[in-house]
Amino acid sequence: MKAPRQPVARIRGWKYSTRKAPAVGRGTAPSRKKPGPAGRGSARTALVALVLGVALAVVGTPALLAQAKSAAPQKVFPYPIHKRTLANGLDVIVIETPEFKNVLSFNTLVLAGARNETEPGKSGLAHLFEHILFRHRWKGQENGYEEAISRLGAHNNAWTWFDVTFYHPLTFTANLEGRSADLPGLLALEADRFSRLDFTEKIFRTEAGAVLGEYRRNASFPSLKLEERLMALLFPHHPYGHTTLGYYEDVLDMPNEYAAAVAFYETYYRPNNCVLVIAGDVRAEEVFAKVEPYYRDWQPKPVPPILATGAPPQREQREHVTWDADVAPLVWVAYRMPAYKTGSVETAVGQLLPELLISPAAPLYRKLRFEKQTASALDFEEGTQGYESFDPRVLILSAQLYKEKYAERGQAYFDEVVADILAGVEELKQFSRRKDARALLETLKSKYRYDFLAAMSSPANIAQTFAWYYRFERDPEVFEKLLASVERLTPRDIDQFARRQFVPEHRAVLTLAHDASARP
Amino acid sequence: MCKIHPIAVVRWLFVLSVTLALGTPPAPAQSVRVVTLDSPAPLVVVKVMVRAGSAHDSAGLEGLAYLTARMLIEGSFGDPKNPVTKERLAEITRPWGQGATPTVQVGKETTTFSMTVPREVLPRYIAQIFRPMFTQPLFDARELDRLRAETLTTLRSNLRLEQIELVGLVTLDNVLHAGTGYAHPVATERGAEAISREALLQFYATYYRPEHLVLGVSTREEALVASLRDALAGAGASTAPPLERRPVEPPPAVQGREVVIVALPNAISTGLHAGFPLSINRSHPDYWPLYVANVWFGTHRDSFSYLYDQIRALRGYNYGDYSYIEHFENRPFALFPPTGYPRRYQYFSIWIRPVQHDYAVHLLKALTWELEHFVRTGLSEEQCALAKNKARVLYLSLAETTERLLGYRLEDEFYGLHPGYLESYLDRIDAVSCAQVNAAIKKHLQAANLKYVVVTDDEVAPRIADAIAANQPAWGKEPVEYQIEVREENGQKLYLVPETKRALLERDAVWAHYWLDIPRNRIRIVPAERLFVTAALP
Repeated sequence: MKAPRQPVARIRGWKYSTRKAPAVGRGTAPSRKKPGPAGRGSARTALVALVLGVALAVVGTPALLAQAKSAAPQKVFPYPIHKRTLANGLDVIVIETPEFKNVLSFNTLVLAGARNETEPGKSGLAHLFEHILFRHRWKGQENGYEEAISRLGAHNNAWTWFDVTFYHPLTFTANLEGRSADLPGLLALEADRFSRLDFTEKIFRTEAGAVLGEYRRNASFPSLKLEERLMALLFPHHPYGHTTLGYYEDVLDMPNEYAAAVAFYETYYRPNNCVLVIAGDVRAEEVFAKVEPYYRDWQPKPVPPILATGAPPQREQREHVTWDADVAPLVWVAYRMPAYKTGSVETAVGQLLPELLISPAAPLYRKLRFEKQTASALDFEEGTQGYESFDPRVLILSAQLYKEKYAERGQAYFDEVVADILAGVEELKQFSRRKDARALLETLKSKYRYDFLAAMSSPANIAQTFAWYYRFERDPEVFEKLLASVERLTPRDIDQFARRQFVPEHRAVLTLAHDASARP
Repeated sequence: MCKIHPIAVVRWLFVLSVTLALGTPPAPAQSVRVVTLDSPAPLVVVKVMVRAGSAHDSAGLEGLAYLTARMLIEGSFGDPKNPVTKERLAEITRPWGQGATPTVQVGKETTTFSMTVPREVLPRYIAQIFRPMFTQPLFDARELDRLRAETLTTLRSNLRLEQIELVGLVTLDNVLHAGTGYAHPVATERGAEAISREALLQFYATYYRPEHLVLGVSTREEALVASLRDALAGAGASTAPPLERRPVEPPPAVQGREVVIVALPNAISTGLHAGFPLSINRSHPDYWPLYVANVWFGTHRDSFSYLYDQIRALRGYNYGDYSYIEHFENRPFALFPPTGYPRRYQYFSIWIRPVQHDYAVHLLKALTWELEHFVRTGLSEEQCALAKNKARVLYLSLAETTERLLGYRLEDEFYGLHPGYLESYLDRIDAVSCAQVNAAIKKHLQAANLKYVVVTDDEVAPRIADAIAANQPAWGKEPVEYQIEVREENGQKLYLVPETKRALLERDAVWAHYWLDIPRNRIRIVPAERLFVTAALP
């Protein structure tokens, strides 16, 4: 199977505000614009501009303006959102964007990811299932689904992450329904593979092999190893403790897990556990009428809750990881974060953390990258997506260091960078005491709002972002509520959030360096 | 963070009175032309296309269009006593999001400014930024010095020595248009050094007048559109004497085959390029059949197409192999063609991404033979149908965002297309017949008259030049590299070729024995350090 798409995060130094793509997926397609708001497009835009030779005006020192107070319109998201829930519990969302003529973005969100792999020895199944869905035997034919999609004409891809799996074919509105029995439409093909998946053990074993290939490919990235260690340390009693790819030994054993895979599908690929998000040049009422007959026979089933089996550790975790290739040293400082909740102060502050910590205007970023030049990159390892999660998860600050400096100074270099990161995070606890706190906060809100809108640049981007947030409370008003909660923030909210979350008992500090260059 | 990489931004001028190949000449307009797109989005995309680009640079002042455009944004504007400097511009636009900072693309015949502005601040944006930027540029001399230095650095180090792919693409573009305004990238060394503040003012006075501007806006709200249009009414006003408009000339005909080898000090692989000027652009009826043909032969960055399949997928030589019937800016990085670079004169080109040095000559033969073969055989009905289906799907990406839709609308103005390119794209594709595809291939493509550009290491360059001129068999990969088993029997090698790989080996042999017939005196080696000094190839 194809390689996973690599996050744009690999382009270090440009990523600060780019949301990271889900860790694994089928695509070789370039990462789409990431779900979610706020300058998430901006680093990418800057990079594109750079390589295009497009001239950007030089950005000067940030300063705060009165303009930031421009009145927010009543409704920020410009397109009508329609929702219908079928009798079997399937939520169907239609977002009408008629200006994108003939475009149909047809997305299925499955509310199951690595978090739902609760049995020991069976990690990685959600991701494997994403592969299997493309091998669906439409009309009993090997490769039947893929060939039918190819005849129809569509870009077709999917990704898996810790909470969800997302399938996102893109085609023409006219392809929603078929032209003949031999040329089924997208609706028929998608409904069929989700509700009546047909795959054999042979297919299963083949795809398990492909996933192993994917693991091996990703294994050359030191960040995978760091992530495995970090999650195991912070979440020893919750499925967030393993990555989406799964443990290596589980992936090796995957070909023998056919029965477990069938059980995973039977449990989670249920209409009440999925959301259809259809965006583009469509009319909601017509879509609802067409969708219903295709999906109504899909049988619902209660989905088991995911429960932690114990409390997370209550003291700081530290670990050093060695690496066999001569890569740049890494420092990760991670904090457990509260679960995502639309409208909560915690979630609203979370939206602004990239601008507060890792944007070129943030004091921490400037110190490490410009003043001391101790880091060649400073990012959130998972964007803000890492802590936009069903259960409390994690914020990871990731600094890439210089090999030469580490060779010279060893552990003292690590210590200095870690101390600087901790101090930068600590500063947020006094945010409201900054003289310009109020004005700065207003600018950040304004930038957040407009960058959020700028990210809504196509039906596919709109649908993906919507699905990402809708899943939490299944509220079609989620965009407005999230944006409103950011608007309500005060400088003291920042202080209080930082004081509650950025404490040693929530923290883990990991370092990674090439073995031979390690100094005692 | 906004260091500019001005590579490969090349453009030309558009003279209103010039007739396009088959289009009708647009009527001379006395004021700003306006195109709109009806989007309800709260962020409004605003673009201003100036119908002048690097092809209008005065001879010896290559870089004039580019530096004028950059200076409009970064060289301060407005009230000289209280100017909007680049720092102030950043401060003013920050609360409005990343897109509110203007950007500019400089092409051969156009210069396109873009910005994305919240609808509710647009009136203020017009007053504080849009109007003074276009009508009261100050061209601060210190900023000119800074931009000049950045441009020179980009030419001298980034483009020449770091961008092995881009340097080949730009060089092919230059050599195909030798002697015309298209023959240089956005700037040359001598040109950038020679440009004065006075020259910028003259360029501005000549080409930024309202009649040379096209405004594109992603809203049809009349008041907003009118205030944007009116804000441009004073553009180009200057006491500087205007320049004589530089005419845009067609490229010289290519006769026979010739090669330019760009020699880099440290290239670890060799990039291959070939091309020739086309007599049509997208305003010609043959464009669409030729487009479908090219989708089949060489779609950019797509595993669907023939060249990719043969050279990368089946044989594993490199990362990708493509062909083009239009200039495609920024090819190494973009998945789909960026808008903002329309040209009256287009060219056909083939791009073989870097391969091991040893395979360069074999693959030069391969690309030439394949082009010749393509022209000879054309496409079957089935291949045409597949290509049309693929072409249709490409539309979804070309038309993905409002920004792209508006970009194409501006290009439609340039080409005189009504209905526009994207508006008619799907209908045009559907209407193409396979007979038209094959006729267009025969009429417009050929392999006898080609210019090649090879980008390689300076130590390898003479060997490649000699090998091309030698007209000897040149082989690529060995059968073992295709996982074909070899046995020694009676002192001879016996290849156990499975039926499935026979055609591949036979084609390899055909390529190896194809004669390029290029004498050594039509092969030039040019050190990369000497490129882009002036508009002429050293």
